[in-house]
Amino acid sequence: MARYAHPKAMSSSKPARTRTAPPQLPDQFPFEGRYRAYTLFDATGILYLMLGFLALGTIWSLGSGEEAWKGVQIIYRSWVYVAFHALSLAAVIFVGIRFFGFFPKAQPPRIGPLKPPPQPVILAMLYVAWIGVAGAMTVILAGGIF
Amino acid sequence: MAEAVGKKTFVVTRFDPDRDEVPRQQAYEIPVQADWKVLDALNFIKDEVDASLSHRWSCRMAVCGSCGMMVNGEPRLSCKDPLSDYGDTVEIAPLANFPVIRDLVIEFEGFMEKLKSVKPWIIRAKELAAEDGPVNQKPSELEEFKQFSMCINCMLCYSACPVVANEPEFIGPAAIALGHRYSLDSRDEGAAERNEIFRGEGTVFSCSYANECSEVCPKNVDPAAAVNQAKFNAVIDWMTGLVIKRGGQG
Repeated sequence: MARYAHPKAMSSSKPARTRTAPPQLPDQFPFEGRYRAYTLFDATGILYLMLGFLALGTIWSLGSGEEAWKGVQIIYRSWVYVAFHALSLAAVIFVGIRFFGFFPKAQPPRIGPLKPPPQPVILAMLYVAWIGVAGAMTVILAGGIF
Repeated sequence: MAEAVGKKTFVVTRFDPDRDEVPRQQAYEIPVQADWKVLDALNFIKDEVDASLSHRWSCRMAVCGSCGMMVNGEPRLSCKDPLSDYGDTVEIAPLANFPVIRDLVIEFEGFMEKLKSVKPWIIRAKELAAEDGPVNQKPSELEEFKQFSMCINCMLCYSACPVVANEPEFIGPAAIALGHRYSLDSRDEGAAERNEIFRGEGTVFSCSYANECSEVCPKNVDPAAAVNQAKFNAVIDWMTGLVIKRGGQG
C-alpha cells in the first residue's frame, strides 16, 4: 500500500517533537492521472538521447567514405529505423504541444520596461515558428533549395 | 438538521505515534447529506463515531488553508470539496510528501522554514520614516503580483509536486510563488537578493515544470507560472549583472 517519498521530504531542519510517519508519495505518481503525461514528457529524453547517438553515427559515416554512407542509408530504410523515427516524431509533437502550452504563462510580467505580448499571441508565434522551421527543413532535406 | 440522503464509506488513514509502526487504514460507514463537503463527513466521524480521529480545520470557507488532505489520491481542501463528487467509498489520507504527526495531521515545520528562506517581506534599500508618508501603488502595479498573493499556504502544491517528493532541499512552489510575489511588488527593492537565492541549489531550477502545483491549487494562484517566471527573472538578473555592476556603477 505505502509508497514512500524521500524520507526527508518536507522535514524540518530541527528534530520533530514527536515520532512521525514517513512522507508518502502521491498515489497516482508516476504512471496514473496527470502524472502520466509528465512522466511521458520526461521519458522522451531517452528517445532524444538515442537520436543524438544516431546523428553522431550518421555524421561519422559521412566522414568514412561513400560505402559507409550508403550502408547507413540502407540501414535507415529498415522498418526498425522507420518505426523508431515515427515514434520520435510523435514524441517531438507531444513535447512541443505540452511545452508550448506551458510557455506563455512562464513569461515574466515585464523585462525592464518591456511587457511580453498577450499569451495567445505568444502561443500563436510559437506554432508559426515551429511549423515554419519544420516546413523549411523539409524543403531543404527534400532538395528543394540546395 | 437536514435529512441524510444516503451512506458512504470513508477509508481514513490513521497513525498513532504511540501505537502504530506505520500508518494503517480504518473504514467508517456514515450517513451523509447532499450538501456536505468532505470536511463535514470527517467532523461527523470525529463527533459521532470516533473521537480519536485527528484532523486540522478552522475556517470552513477555503481561506485558512488548514484542512488540506488527499481525497481519493488527489490533494484537496476538504472544506471546499463537495462529497457529491465522489462515489460510495472515499479514501482520505494525510497530504502526500509530508511527515505525519497523527492521522491526517502533517508536520509543517519544514514548510515554514522554506517559506522564510525566500525573504517574504518588503525589502527597502533605505527604510522610510513614518513622516515620509505611504509608498503609493497604482492598481496596475498591484495587478502584477495580486494573483500570487492569494496563496493561503494550504500546502496542496507541495503534496502534488514530484520534485518535492524526491528532492528534500527543493524549496517548493508556494515559497517560490511568495518570493516572486514580493519581487514583483513595486514597493519592494529586494528582487536582486531573491534572484540570488533563486539561482542557488534546490530552488527554481530544480522545478521540472510538472505543473501539478497549479492543477491542484484551490485559489488559482498558478504557482507553476510563478516558479517559471522566477527562473526567467533569475537568468535575466544574472546576465544583467555581467554587464552592469551592482550599485549603479557601469
